[in-house]
Amino acid sequence: MTHSSQATAAVGDGDGVDAAALAARYGLHRVGTRPSLRTYLRQMWERRHFIAALASSNAYSRNQNNYLGQLWAILNPLFLAGVYLLVFGVLLGTRGGVDNYVGFLTVGIFMFTFASTSLMSGAKSITSNIGMVRALHFPRAALPVAAVLAELATVLPALAVLLGILLATGERPTWSWLAFVPALLLLYVFSTGAAFVAARLVVGSRDLLNLIPLALRLARYVSGVFFSIQHYTGDNPLGLLLEYQPLAVYLSLVRSCLLAEVPQSALLWGFGAGWALLFAIGGFLLFWQREESYGRG
Amino acid sequence: MVAAEATGPVAEEELGDPSVVVDDLHVTYRLYGGRRHVADDDASRLARLVSRSRNHLGGVTEVHAVRGVSFVARHGEAIGIIGRNGSGKSTLLRAVAGLLPPASGAVYVAGRTALLGVSAALMKDLTGERNIMLGGLALGLSPQQVRARFDDVVEFAGIGDSVHLPMSSYSSGMGARLRFAISASAAPDILMIDEALATGDAEFRARSQDKIDEIREQAGTVFLVSHSDATVRAMCGRALWVDKGRLVRDGPVDEVCDAYKRSAKPRRPPAR
Repeated sequence: MTHSSQATAAVGDGDGVDAAALAARYGLHRVGTRPSLRTYLRQMWERRHFIAALASSNAYSRNQNNYLGQLWAILNPLFLAGVYLLVFGVLLGTRGGVDNYVGFLTVGIFMFTFASTSLMSGAKSITSNIGMVRALHFPRAALPVAAVLAELATVLPALAVLLGILLATGERPTWSWLAFVPALLLLYVFSTGAAFVAARLVVGSRDLLNLIPLALRLARYVSGVFFSIQHYTGDNPLGLLLEYQPLAVYLSLVRSCLLAEVPQSALLWGFGAGWALLFAIGGFLLFWQREESYGRG
Repeated sequence: MVAAEATGPVAEEELGDPSVVVDDLHVTYRLYGGRRHVADDDASRLARLVSRSRNHLGGVTEVHAVRGVSFVARHGEAIGIIGRNGSGKSTLLRAVAGLLPPASGAVYVAGRTALLGVSAALMKDLTGERNIMLGGLALGLSPQQVRARFDDVVEFAGIGDSVHLPMSSYSSGMGARLRFAISASAAPDILMIDEALATGDAEFRARSQDKIDEIREQAGTVFLVSHSDATVRAMCGRALWVDKGRLVRDGPVDEVCDAYKRSAKPRRPPAR
C-alpha cells in the first residue's frame, strides 16, 4: 500500500476549492438529508401508484404459491372464526351479556386480526425491506403505508364472509350497516399511524420485534374480542380505561354498526376519530424525523 | 476539499461540469447477528466467557465502512470503483446515491441518481409483466411512462413470452437481464451499477455497454462497482481504487487498475 499516503494527500489537498461552494456553483443538491415536511408529503403523493402496486403485489403474492390460491383469503378467516367459536362459544362460554354471540365474536376476531397483522407487518416493513431501502429512492413512509394497505386488501374478501355470517345468525341489514365503511376506515387510519410508530421503534431497536407479539396477545385478551368488557368490568375506572383504549373502541364501533343489539354512540365515534387522527399525524411526524437514517439498518 | 480534475483518456474527451461532489465522506451502518472478536489470550477465563457470550447477546456491530473519501465526477464520465471484497465499494456507491446517510461529510449530485438495485423491489412470485410495472414505479416512473417503455424493456431484456410467467421460473441470466432493463428504463442522470454485469452472456454485456455509452452521451454519469479490473477497464475511463474504506488512488483507468493488480498479488514475484 505504498501509494496510499500519496493518493490521499493528493485528494485531500486538491485545488483548494470548497466542496459546498463548488456544488452550489454547478447547481448540485445535497443527498442523504431529510426533506422538509412539505416536500415529504408531496413525494408521498407522487409515489401513490408505487404504494398501491407494492401493496397489491404483496397481498397477491401471499396466496399465489398454492393450488387454491386467492381462495385462501376467504377460507382462512372462515376457519379462524370456527376455531374461536369452538373454544370461546362452546368450550369456555364467555357469552355473558351478549345475545348474538357468534356475530359478536366474528366481528371481534376479524377486526382485531386486521389491526394486529397491520401493526406487525408495519413494524417489520423497514427491516424486512432493507434491501429496497438501500437500493431505491422513495419516501420511506411508503413502506409502512403499503404494508397496512396490503392487510386491508387481504381483509376485504374476509369482510364478505363476515357479512354472510352475520346474516346467517339473524342480523338484518339496516342503514347503520353503511356506517361500517367509515368505521373500518378509521380503524385503517389508526393502524397506519400505529405502524409508523412501530416501524420507527423497530429500526431503532430490533429487539422490540419480539415484544410486539406479546403486547398484541395481551391486547387480544383485554380488548373485548371474546367478551363484552362492560358486562365483566362494570363502570369502575379500570373498566373505562379498557373500554376506551383504541382497539376496544374500534371493536365496539364496528359492532355498533353491524349488530342490532349494540347501540350507536357519538362518544364512540369521537374516540374513534380522535385516536385515528392522533396516531396518524403523530406517527407520521415521528417516522419522518428519522427519514434519512433508515438505510443505516 | 475536493479532488483535482481527472486526467487521462476520458479527460481528453469533452468533459462536462461536475455532476457529483463527494466531500470527506464517512459512512457507518449497523450489522446485526454478530460481533467482531477481540482476540485476547491474556484475559481471565471469566472475561473470555463474558466476551464470548456477548457474541450471542449484543450481536450488533457498528461498521465504519467509508472513511473520508473525496472526489469530483463530471458529466459524461464512466467511473469504475475497484477494490477487494469488503473494502467499502458498495457502501460508497450507496452513500453517493443518497441511500445511506453520511456519518459526516457530504455528497452533492446533479439530477436523479439510480442504483441498479431494482431487484430489491421485484417479487419472484409475480410475472415479469407485473414486475416491470412494480420496478418502474419503484424507480419513480409514472404508470403511463412504464406502459410506454414496456415493449422496449421486454425487447432489451430479450425474454420474449416469458414475460407472462412468474420471475421464479426465469434462469439467473434472464432475471439479471430483466433487472438491468428495468433499471435502465428510468434513464437516470447518474446510473450506478453494482457488480450486476457479472451475469449475462457476451451479447448482453455488449448491450449493457451500449446502454452505458448512451447514458454518458446524454451527459449522464455512470458508476460501476466491480472487483474485476477487466470489467472496469472495458467500460470505464476513470477508476477509483478503494481499500478499507479509504480512497487509495483516483485517475485514468489503466493506471489505477495496474496499481490495483500489482497490489492484489503481492506474494508473486514480478513476471520477467
